Amino acid sequence: MDKQLISRGTSRTPLPRFMLWILPWVAMLGIGLYAIFLCLSKGLNQTNMDNRFSFGLWIYLDLTVIALGAGAFFTGFLLYILKRKELKAVINSAVTIGFICYSGAVAVLAVDVGQPLRAWFTFWHPNVHSMLAEVTFCITCYLIVLIIEYIPVVLKNRRIKNVPSMLVFEFELHKLMVVLAAVGTFLSFFHQGSLGGLYGVLVGRPFAFRPALGIWPTTFFLFIISAAAVGPSFILLTTWLTSKISRKQLVKPEVLQDLGKISGSILIFYIILKTVDTIFWINSVHALGFSPAGFFRIQEFGTWILFLEIVVLGLVPAILLLSNRVRQNTTLLVLSATLACAGIVLNRYVMTIQTLALPTLPFDQFLSYSPSWQEVATFLAVIAYGMLVYSFSFRYLTLFPQEREIQSV
Amino acid sequence: MLSLVFAYAWSTGNIIFLGAFFTIVAIIVATLVTTTLRTLRALRANAAEAIRWKSDFHDMPSSSRTCRHVFTGEFERRVCNNEFNCNGCEQHALLLAQQNAAAMPVNAQMNPGFALPLDRLYSRGHTWTKQNTDGTYVIGVDDFAARLIGTPSAIDLPAIGTRLSINGSAWNFKKGETSVRMLSPLEGEVVETSDGAQGWYLRVQPLSADVKTGHLLRGAEVGPWIQREFDRLQNYLADPKIGLTLPDGGMPVRDFTAEFPEKDWDAIYSTLLLEP
Repeated sequence: MDKQLISRGTSRTPLPRFMLWILPWVAMLGIGLYAIFLCLSKGLNQTNMDNRFSFGLWIYLDLTVIALGAGAFFTGFLLYILKRKELKAVINSAVTIGFICYSGAVAVLAVDVGQPLRAWFTFWHPNVHSMLAEVTFCITCYLIVLIIEYIPVVLKNRRIKNVPSMLVFEFELHKLMVVLAAVGTFLSFFHQGSLGGLYGVLVGRPFAFRPALGIWPTTFFLFIISAAAVGPSFILLTTWLTSKISRKQLVKPEVLQDLGKISGSILIFYIILKTVDTIFWINSVHALGFSPAGFFRIQEFGTWILFLEIVVLGLVPAILLLSNRVRQNTTLLVLSATLACAGIVLNRYVMTIQTLALPTLPFDQFLSYSPSWQEVATFLAVIAYGMLVYSFSFRYLTLFPQEREIQSV
Repeated sequence: MLSLVFAYAWSTGNIIFLGAFFTIVAIIVATLVTTTLRTLRALRANAAEAIRWKSDFHDMPSSSRTCRHVFTGEFERRVCNNEFNCNGCEQHALLLAQQNAAAMPVNAQMNPGFALPLDRLYSRGHTWTKQNTDGTYVIGVDDFAARLIGTPSAIDLPAIGTRLSINGSAWNFKKGETSVRMLSPLEGEVVETSDGAQGWYLRVQPLSADVKTGHLLRGAEVGPWIQREFDRLQNYLADPKIGLTLPDGGMPVRDFTAEFPEKDWDAIYSTLLLEP
């Protein structure tokens, strides 16, 4: 039965070994589900967040996975709108990763906000003065788009496509994928931006506040561009990791190189803008009477974090990814993509945790926060959920259409 | 709803913001409704098999989609993106007009030992068809597929009256746990079935007087095509430790599966019999 579900022309690890692989993830998911149950039944007192430190590990996770999941919309945009056909080799994997990232983020948001049964309030009574209203609308709509985009990948399963109605539905849905790609791009553009804008409008927090370009703060644009930059790098990284774990070549080397080039081109643009933004920020906080370096000298955070984010995890991978020689060396290519992803992970950390930890009033203390085990378990549950969905998808669906062709040569 | 929101105003900005998102929701709903309606229409029109072929074709490796004009040496390398629908291919029409049949003699040397009579037409899925004197067509499997499958454990033939579409499913062989789909070379209605003892499996009545056979291989194309198919098979059967080896004579065995039981025949059938 198991073999009958695996795509023809591809081989997968024996079922017992696969079960052994998923067992720890199932256990991790189980513990996380228990933590989620505690949070939903007993309330947010199960967390270490409070009214002052209201954005913690979960929001950090949301921002990070949504940035890394941007590969789904950006790859779809490049493939279906700009007709970069070579990306067909990774589009199914990109959609799966996007689906995992967004569904995981929405699940954690449901726990974070609490009272998920009242989630519909946000749509019926939207607070149009809040960036979060836009984020909620966009993420919900985009998750629906990702589910619809993931459906054809599932319906292409060897057994499911034998059912004529499923086959025809998949075929007809695929024909309209360009519409979904366009909608996904529109939605991603705005919610990635609004997640950044969320911090940029915090007038009372000079560390995060940025001047507006039009109606949006500069962080709005920086978040969009940074997500578009690392999305392809994350697809590159996950493809390489899957290839290593499964010990199979899944795509032609040119595909990874193309992803690296795309990522590097946008990343260098982002780093230039980020540098300009940082220089403007230094001048603007100075004009307000603050010492820009002072924000980094408080307790744990030093200016090294800024250097690490912009130079080591930004400029360096951007230059490496733009080098043809580096891209042809798989180890360096993967290392560069890892650095780029790490840069965005750090950026989202700085924007979420560092912003909230810094005191805003003279009598304020530096806030420290460490998540409770329930928060950590919920965080890990999303990781486990992602690993499970991706593992099952890789086993039973065609995530990499080139794999079969490569095996047959 | 919105009037209940504190400080909500029907300002231009709010209308644009909410209008954009409700438009998105409408587009998503419209996409799903359109897909569902198109699906129902296609199913009612019995187009599922034609769609299956279109879907399968684009999932096939490029090595399975070699243009027929490569077999005749008109191209060194060309991949078909037209679902083997040569009737709708401009390049095919152009080359056909230029072709001189006499300049392309049938090269028996190109056939590596399979019995492929040239009195019939061959589909790329290794079925053949031949017209009877009564206007019906018989459909069978070519010698290459017959040796590839060997003795099937079961044959799942369509019911009399079943309508076949070009490159749609014709019938299935069972070989152990593997099901092997054979493609129909032409469109028609099944009027008789056979277990293959007479050399064919189906007899079909074409649905119109204009029987579409332009996509089927014939004459000088058959030898080079089967040679290429045999090369692909050898690629699969090669010992990975040794690499590809070439036979220095002899005839193909009657049942390849019996000679190479350890090979992944599911994958081989999938590639060579065009069922990804």
